[in-house]
Amino acid sequence: MNMLRLKNIHKRFNHLEVLKGISLEVAQGEVVAIIGPSGSGKSTLLRCLNRLEIIDQGTIEIEGEILATEDTEGKCQYVSEQKAREICFKMGMVFQQFNLFPHMTVIDNIIEAPMLVKGIKKELIIPEAEELLKKVGLFEKKNSYPSRLSGGQKQRVAIARALAMKPDIMLFDEPTSALDPELTGEVLKAMRQLALEHMTMIVVTHEMAFAREVAQRVIFMDNGDIVEEGTPEQIFNSPEQPRTQAFLKSML
Amino acid sequence: MEKIITMMGPMLDGVNVTLQMFFITLVLSLPLGLLLSLARISKYKPISLLVETYIWLMRGTPLMLQLLFVYYALPLVPYIGIKLPDFSAAILAFVLNYAAYFAEIFRGGIQSIERGQYEASKVLGMTYVQTMRRIILPQVLKRVVPPISNETITLVKDTSLIYVLAMNDLLRTARTIVQREFDMTPFVIAAVFYLAMTLVLTWIFNKLEERYAAYDE
Ligand SMILES: Nc1ncnc2c1ncn2[C@@H]1O[C@H](COP(=O)(O)OP(=O)(O)O)[C@@H](O)[C@H]1O
Ligand SMILES: [Mg+2]
Repeated sequence: MNMLRLKNIHKRFNHLEVLKGISLEVAQGEVVAIIGPSGSGKSTLLRCLNRLEIIDQGTIEIEGEILATEDTEGKCQYVSEQKAREICFKMGMVFQQFNLFPHMTVIDNIIEAPMLVKGIKKELIIPEAEELLKKVGLFEKKNSYPSRLSGGQKQRVAIARALAMKPDIMLFDEPTSALDPELTGEVLKAMRQLALEHMTMIVVTHEMAFAREVAQRVIFMDNGDIVEEGTPEQIFNSPEQPRTQAFLKSML
Repeated sequence: MEKIITMMGPMLDGVNVTLQMFFITLVLSLPLGLLLSLARISKYKPISLLVETYIWLMRGTPLMLQLLFVYYALPLVPYIGIKLPDFSAAILAFVLNYAAYFAEIFRGGIQSIERGQYEASKVLGMTYVQTMRRIILPQVLKRVVPPISNETITLVKDTSLIYVLAMNDLLRTARTIVQREFDMTPFVIAAVFYLAMTLVLTWIFNKLEERYAAYDE
């Protein structure tokens, strides 16, 4: 089953066209890595999926439900705010800058949205949140404030916070790019674990080793287009496009 | 000594007026300021423009003038013109004025919160109202404690402006006694009261800051 279907997505910032007709389908349980030079539109693409950015043209379908599509005149129409919110919270997102809530402890960061958005009772969500914290190895930090955590710990809390909403799809936007090199491992490990549990994942990353090892499909984007996609072996061992080859060379 | 005790009766009445002005203004203008700040950052241009103009008017003219306007000019406005009792007129002018200042403080606080906080909330499925109430405003409160504290201490002293409406607040009472008895003691007593009030306020706001220090940013 397709978890996600994008058709001909166009996105402009003023006169700058940042996405130039992206089409993409992601199957359930698939891990897709998106690589490409900075400024190529990778973040914008992820952000269009959960309407952090509004697309100008195209169709977005999440788990068979339409989020945005074109009307008969070719104008892009979104479903109602309420409906869009319900569709979008099936997608968890992890940001490069963590974006934890600094005024809440780790455990409160995790339980806030399930209680507020889904109306789950506190005593029911606490055990689940603790379980998630154990999973990312941070149970002993549950009463700490985010400012007391290292970058790697913050990002693992952010992953647990997203998972607490029981998403079907997880989006990662360069989750390790803000981290000191020695802290990326712990975050990648948590992500690898998720992949093993067959979470559908779209990961924008500069970690080529991770993409090669964990992703089933690698997409190379440049200048608002998908230039090439394929299995990690295809992309990393025998890329066809000159731009892919040049990019991979620069990453060595 | 005996003289001081006889002065204390009217002086305490004056303190009472001053304290009432202070508390009622504060209790009304803080929430009004918050509402105004939300309107000021609203996506609906007419609303935000209206509030912007209002804030400009309130901050761009002296409080004294606004006080006199509400008292003397408002009753003359056709149809809606009403003659308010002294105290209500003073409260109205103070609340309208202070709400404008508080609105700008809240707006600054709200706009200082990183965009990522809104994005994380949105991605987790929160509505705008939920995001403001649970994520943004609690962080704003921490950031606005120092400027609100300043403004509140200014309010203590600004209350003395109501002497123009012939209301017997602390300062006017002191002046009346001084003029009658040719004795400067009431001024000293008044100064001590103002200082005591600002001392208490400073202490309260320090406590608030300490409480919010539980988390750093
Ligand atoms: N909010 C925005 N307003 C204007 N331009 C933007 C905005 N966000 C991104 N861009 C531009 O869009 C292009 C793609 O950005 P982005 O999606 O962040 O690329 P990537 O994540 O691949 O580095 C860049 O040229 C960037 O400057
Ligand atoms: Mg990016």
